[in-house]
Amino acid sequence: MAARSTAKRSTPAAPAKPLWLVYLLGWLVPGGGHLWLGRTTKGFVFLVALPAMFVIGLALEGRLFPFAPSEPLVALAAVADVASGLPYLIAHSLGYGAGRAVALTYDYGNAFLITAGLLNALVIVDAHDIALGRK
Amino acid sequence: MSIQSHILLMAVFAFFVAVVGGVLLKDTARQQARAGAETFGGLMAGAIILGWILYVFPL
Repeated sequence: MAARSTAKRSTPAAPAKPLWLVYLLGWLVPGGGHLWLGRTTKGFVFLVALPAMFVIGLALEGRLFPFAPSEPLVALAAVADVASGLPYLIAHSLGYGAGRAVALTYDYGNAFLITAGLLNALVIVDAHDIALGRK
Repeated sequence: MSIQSHILLMAVFAFFVAVVGGVLLKDTARQQARAGAETFGGLMAGAIILGWILYVFPL
């Protein structure tokens, strides 16, 4: 009984791997946090699905939104785009993602790009939980 | 991209969201497949139902 109550009160063990590295890897490489934490199947699924969504979004002539504080929704979309990590950085540096607002698929492209980033943010939160031993 | 079918693009979108969502939320392959299928079906059915509602009651 005494041992149980002591165990209950004790603080959880510190994560074996530094959390900041889990966040950084998870952000840069979709699924990278999971791969590093040994959840390889999940990691590979994210590694394939999220960049694929991002590329499809670009192919559908979606736009990588700029940070425009005067337009809050555009700024939020920009944050979501950046959350895709390395795919965003590569596309941005190569000049992709200008977007063509008159294209039939423009809104679909934006939906793919923004959702890829937001899903990657959820994946990072999941990696955080795994690193803390909650899952 | 040459795909311009709205429903096909919606299905592709729902597929990716369902795959990531299913794998994210569940731990076993069976549970993941089930959650993914439910998410995909829910997104497709929801969009089609909403489409018909907007057809009858346009904004």
